[in-house]
Amino acid sequence: MEQSSPSVVGQIASDPALENGAHPTGDAIDLAEVRQILAQFHYRDFQEAQELILSALQEINEHYGWVSLPAAEVVAAHFGTTASRIYGLLTFYADFRTEPRGKHFMLLCHGMACYVMGSQRLIQHLEDDWGVADAGTTADGELTVQVVNGCLGVCDRAPICKLDADYIGDLTAEKLNDAIRTAIAGGGSWRDAHHPVVTGSFHDR
Amino acid sequence: MTDKLTSREAFAQFQRSASERWDALWQGEKLVVSVQVDSSSVAKGALQVLAACREVFRGTDAIVREVSGNGAMWMEPAVEIKRPGEPPIVYGWIEPGDVTSLLAGELRDRAVGVRGPNGFAGIPPLSEHPFFQHQHRIVMEEFGVIEPDSIEDAIARGAYGALAKVLFEMTAEEAIAEVTASGLRGRGGAGFPAGIKWESGRKARNRPKFVVVNSHEGEPNVYKDRRIHEGDPHKILEGMLISSVVCGADRAYNYIGGEYPLGIRRFRKAVADAEQLGLIGENILGTGRDVEVRVGTGGGAYICGEGSALMYSVMGVRGQPRTKPPRSVEEGLWKRPTILNNTETLAAVPAIINNGGEWFSQIGTATSAGTKMMTVQGPLKHVGLVETPMGVTLRTLIDGVWGGMREGHQFRGVQTGGVSAGPLTAEQLDYAVDFDSMTEVGGMLGSGGFVVFDQHVCPVDFARYLTAFNRVESCAKCTPCHRGNPALVEILDRIRLGGGSREDLSLMERTSKHIIDLSLCGLGQVAPMPLLGMMKMYPQDFLDHIENHVCAAGACPIATPVVLATAAD
Ligand SMILES: Cc1cc2nc3c(=O)[nH]c(=O)nc-3n(C[C@H](O)[C@H](O)[C@H](O)COP(=O)(O)O)c2cc1C
Ligand code: SF4
Ligand code: FES
Repeated sequence: MEQSSPSVVGQIASDPALENGAHPTGDAIDLAEVRQILAQFHYRDFQEAQELILSALQEINEHYGWVSLPAAEVVAAHFGTTASRIYGLLTFYADFRTEPRGKHFMLLCHGMACYVMGSQRLIQHLEDDWGVADAGTTADGELTVQVVNGCLGVCDRAPICKLDADYIGDLTAEKLNDAIRTAIAGGGSWRDAHHPVVTGSFHDR
Repeated sequence: MTDKLTSREAFAQFQRSASERWDALWQGEKLVVSVQVDSSSVAKGALQVLAACREVFRGTDAIVREVSGNGAMWMEPAVEIKRPGEPPIVYGWIEPGDVTSLLAGELRDRAVGVRGPNGFAGIPPLSEHPFFQHQHRIVMEEFGVIEPDSIEDAIARGAYGALAKVLFEMTAEEAIAEVTASGLRGRGGAGFPAGIKWESGRKARNRPKFVVVNSHEGEPNVYKDRRIHEGDPHKILEGMLISSVVCGADRAYNYIGGEYPLGIRRFRKAVADAEQLGLIGENILGTGRDVEVRVGTGGGAYICGEGSALMYSVMGVRGQPRTKPPRSVEEGLWKRPTILNNTETLAAVPAIINNGGEWFSQIGTATSAGTKMMTVQGPLKHVGLVETPMGVTLRTLIDGVWGGMREGHQFRGVQTGGVSAGPLTAEQLDYAVDFDSMTEVGGMLGSGGFVVFDQHVCPVDFARYLTAFNRVESCAKCTPCHRGNPALVEILDRIRLGGGSREDLSLMERTSKHIIDLSLCGLGQVAPMPLLGMMKMYPQDFLDHIENHVCAAGACPIATPVVLATAAD
């Protein structure tokens, strides 16, 4: 795994103005709400607790778009483990973010169908024209791009991306520009598209 | 929902009423509309089509069902319509706005085929379409047929019958003997015989014992396992339960990579329904057997598909492989005996128990029995997921099933084995698709994902893409893989920029050998294979970059006039 820079941790920990857990950009995660989410991941024994950690992180990451260090501490407390262990997971597993998302969120598929149909050029295009690289956010905070190494499962429309709730297939640079402009002009955000809990404890079905 | 079923008789009774309801559905006087909803059709508006159908029929007695796709992604969103007295007919390319005219009997040109043995009113059976013609569906039999969220549908179509057979009619030895006789080999890539693994699992003496399903599917070239979750989650669950019962496992896990919410949701629904019916949990069907089922998710790390890494991930730590032995069947999850199988492997088991190992072994080839789910990516006409007997040739798949190249695209090659093997060229398409045939030319069946590429893809650039994937996904535990793959990418970048030399080619070969020989796990041990394959199949492209500074495909950022980046940079 390519690790994200640990400087984020240092920044948050050392800036007293950010004690409430806000990111330098001003984003904060409501820790009381995190505790509510975690309540769905209750466990009966040590093994269950360990086995639920990743699913709980998925849920929080999906809900807020990232997992802040204070949120990671709450997760650690819930499962009876250390924040460093949680942070180790956040930096190992590619789905998790330790920085907030911008207003709009794009998953750009770079699976093999998308690669052979030109996704490499689209990644380059996003860098050149929008100034945003993998896992990055545009300077105006409008768009975060995450390049997916797996496959979004819609290979017949490759190259494809998912922008907030919408899939846009058979992408070209122009189509990508249009989609981003439309999304930004539309005023919504990735939050409108976020899906509800798909996992939870092993006993509530 | 009914009470828990606590005996064989109660299960049989449930089966009977489920199939009566099923027959009534299809022979009745009601209009039955089945909208195919799965992760690929959702991207094309299938949910809106479903909503439009529900809207149109609100207040009528027509039945609107949410089924899964049948693999034919090229005709999505698809809707199947069954009118009283007619067979079910599948229509493709349906948009929400089309629903009214479709139901009015128009849009006949969108009818792809009849689901059933015979044509109707000039519409041929689906099975005559080239995409379906070569298929033999065992795992995918119920895709697009049952509602995945309905356990009654599944049971009406035979689900959990094999579990009952194993519980009430067979000893564990007999059940394993059938799996061994079937010749079923692991569908996760390595092709290890399932029967042998189960036998060692059964013999392991430590307790508790676990069964784990590997539904990680983090490879960039394949999308089959998620489709089983979406199309027929009950097959996976039944396979897990059978494996647990015969190996004596107390708990069965399904580990899902985490990137397919619809599949997870449908699988969890199947688990919840099966639990209500008493098919899992304590005292299954009154037999006194207990099997707990858990669903775990990862977080998008390809390496977590490797067996030992997967188990660490289930235990909530970083998924990094460990040295073996001990093998997982002796010391796996929580240091207890663990039987790990791929999703597709387990989903094939119910049919094997129902029809016998002998039946399965007659399908496919002598050393690769049965059917295999195959996926294709690239500029082909009929992109989709299929299930064919092992041993079908690549040519049949590419030109027949998947419809050949799209207009304006010329076939250049087909990458096999995902990120773990090399490509095959146009001259090599007569190789049989099975576990063994393609290996002599550096290809591999792997998990059954084939990537066809055209004249716009440069073999050097493709090799870089594949190597870079392994570089990013390396878990960084051992040096040859962690440092070696970046070194290969660096050399490839030099060549892509037009600054490569002939020595770079042998340097890459030496580095590759180093990585292959010294890496700890399967990722590193095969990581250079795609590069070596590309170099072997397309040597001229590499030389063109190095000596003539041209990238024929126009994919590489060769600078003109050439700016030489030297090895010292
Ligand atoms: C890097 C790597 C990734 C793997 N990814 C998967 C995977 O996504 N799914 C899978 O079933 N097997 C995967 N495998 C193979 C598993 O280690 C294991 O062999 C397999 O799950 C066993 O099941 P089977 O015998 O039914 O195939 C992977 C192996 C390696 C080395
Ligand atoms: S070979 Fe690569 S992926 Fe495997 S253990 Fe070593 S570093 Fe990790
Ligand atoms: S590779 Fe991009 S959708 Fe499959």
